[in-house]
Amino acid sequence: MFLSIKEIKKEKVRYGLIIGMIVLICYLIFILTSLAMGLAQQNTDAIDSWNISSVVLDKDSNTSMTQSMITKDEVKKTKITSKEAYIGQTAVVAKKSGRTNESAQFLGLKDNQFIAKNLVLSSGHKVNKSDQVVVDDKFQTDGYKIGDKIQFNSNNKKYTIVGFTKNAKLNIAPVVYGNISTWKTLKNGNSQVIASAIVSKNANFKTANKQLKTYSISAFISKLPGYSAQNSTFTFMIAFLMIISLIVIAVFLYILTIQKIQNYAVLRAQGIPAKTLVGATISQSITLVVSGLLIGIMLTAITAIAMPAAVPISFNIPILSAIGIGLVLTGLLGSLIPIRIILHVDPVSVIGG
Amino acid sequence: MTTLQLNNINKYFGTGSSRVHVLKDVNFTAQKGELNLVIGPSGSGKSTFLTIAGGLQTPSTGNVELEGKAVKSMSNRQRDAMRLNKIGFVLQAHNLIPYLTVKEQFQLVKKVKKEHNLTNLSLDVLLKQLDIEELQNKYPGELSGGQNQRVAIARALYTRPDIVLADEPTAALDSERVAEVGKIFQTLAREQDTAVIVVTHDLRLIEFADNVYQIMDGQMTLNNNMKTA
Repeated sequence: MFLSIKEIKKEKVRYGLIIGMIVLICYLIFILTSLAMGLAQQNTDAIDSWNISSVVLDKDSNTSMTQSMITKDEVKKTKITSKEAYIGQTAVVAKKSGRTNESAQFLGLKDNQFIAKNLVLSSGHKVNKSDQVVVDDKFQTDGYKIGDKIQFNSNNKKYTIVGFTKNAKLNIAPVVYGNISTWKTLKNGNSQVIASAIVSKNANFKTANKQLKTYSISAFISKLPGYSAQNSTFTFMIAFLMIISLIVIAVFLYILTIQKIQNYAVLRAQGIPAKTLVGATISQSITLVVSGLLIGIMLTAITAIAMPAAVPISFNIPILSAIGIGLVLTGLLGSLIPIRIILHVDPVSVIGG
Repeated sequence: MTTLQLNNINKYFGTGSSRVHVLKDVNFTAQKGELNLVIGPSGSGKSTFLTIAGGLQTPSTGNVELEGKAVKSMSNRQRDAMRLNKIGFVLQAHNLIPYLTVKEQFQLVKKVKKEHNLTNLSLDVLLKQLDIEELQNKYPGELSGGQNQRVAIARALYTRPDIVLADEPTAALDSERVAEVGKIFQTLAREQDTAVIVVTHDLRLIEFADNVYQIMDGQMTLNNNMKTA
């Protein structure tokens, strides 16, 4: 530690540049991960808020709630308890003159079932009538207010916004919560259709009808349009970034070590044990990576504060901490590569001929 | 008392037709309290002699004994400990660590070898003797060649070694400083009962030596006649 700290103190510019490079790598990984998390979260925010374990859909809907239709006949032998709720989903364009049109997901709920009952509002009140809706706060950001009357698609009927709810996104679109009867109207469904899906807090919930199939929540989410492809893309990007970081950090540490071989040879000639020099190299690497990491975290925190609300970004502390630990381990791994050179440094090389 | 003994040392480099016989049947004995000078031109084998004497490399044949113990029977760790505890190296072109101040060069040694070093008081006396006491917060890059060489000497003596092996310690010094360094090595040998071995081609150091060895084409001979020449 003594040698590594003294060297960093003396060679401020050189090590400042290396720390700067590590800061940029950390910052890039953190921001990219947070954007990936934010985007993934906006696919499932609404679903996550329901705390459900399983979803029942029409087996021919390809695990898509928008394509699923459940009829009265299909559920007549199924017992719906307080742990289950009907949901009707359809994509809508919400509009009001003087306001931006919003592409949204309409979710029709039954007032007496747990999703509607447990809905947490940031302002306003819950839906009491079929012409009332509660909307995601993206509407509020875009200028909509409680009391605004909005229309869906080309339908002339107007619905009043009675409340706002936070983080209600599905497939990256803001959610409009309304009555399930409104959903039926928007869907132009016949009277036999009662919902798109039944969601349950019970992981083993089953229906008696063979046309309906129960999916686990993870299976259902993985089938959300574009969700898996998008997550795989980001995961690979971050993984490649980590591998490239390892190579870059290892190359820098290797070059630094090569430049110090003469000094290490002198120290070895004087009887300074190789383990002291190895310890100095490892502690220097960790010092550099941890310093870069801490500055990277600070930059990320500043970015989090300055980032506009419209950008889908989510700072998941446990995941970012795991990445931080991964980066320190990457630095440690990088510092182990030149250790072979230190162990084989020839002290004879510093004795003149 | 014999401190360092080299018996029938031969050293070859390379193999086959490119094999070079660098040291030829070298016998050498260093006693405590004596300053030994090994004089020879470049390429004569004196640096190879020094590295073998210091346990940095092994001879092709023959054996080295330090205080009666065969160096070749020691493990690498034991050789490290031997160099750290028993030997003080003064290397050519000083070879100080560039990112440590003069004071920190001693601190580094103290961190590894915690005991039996010079006391702060003795170190101050030594630094004053070498006229470098004002340079303690300077980096090697801020010192002249001569100042660096004197710091390297002080660093080698800091551990109070039984043997000092010096490789061209006066290479960067003027005549006045050469005389001072010669005097320091002489005093070190006599007052601290240390065996000092200086490898050099600087004939100005002869007047301080107890024994003068000449090395030529790998062959070493004791030639104390040079002291009176």
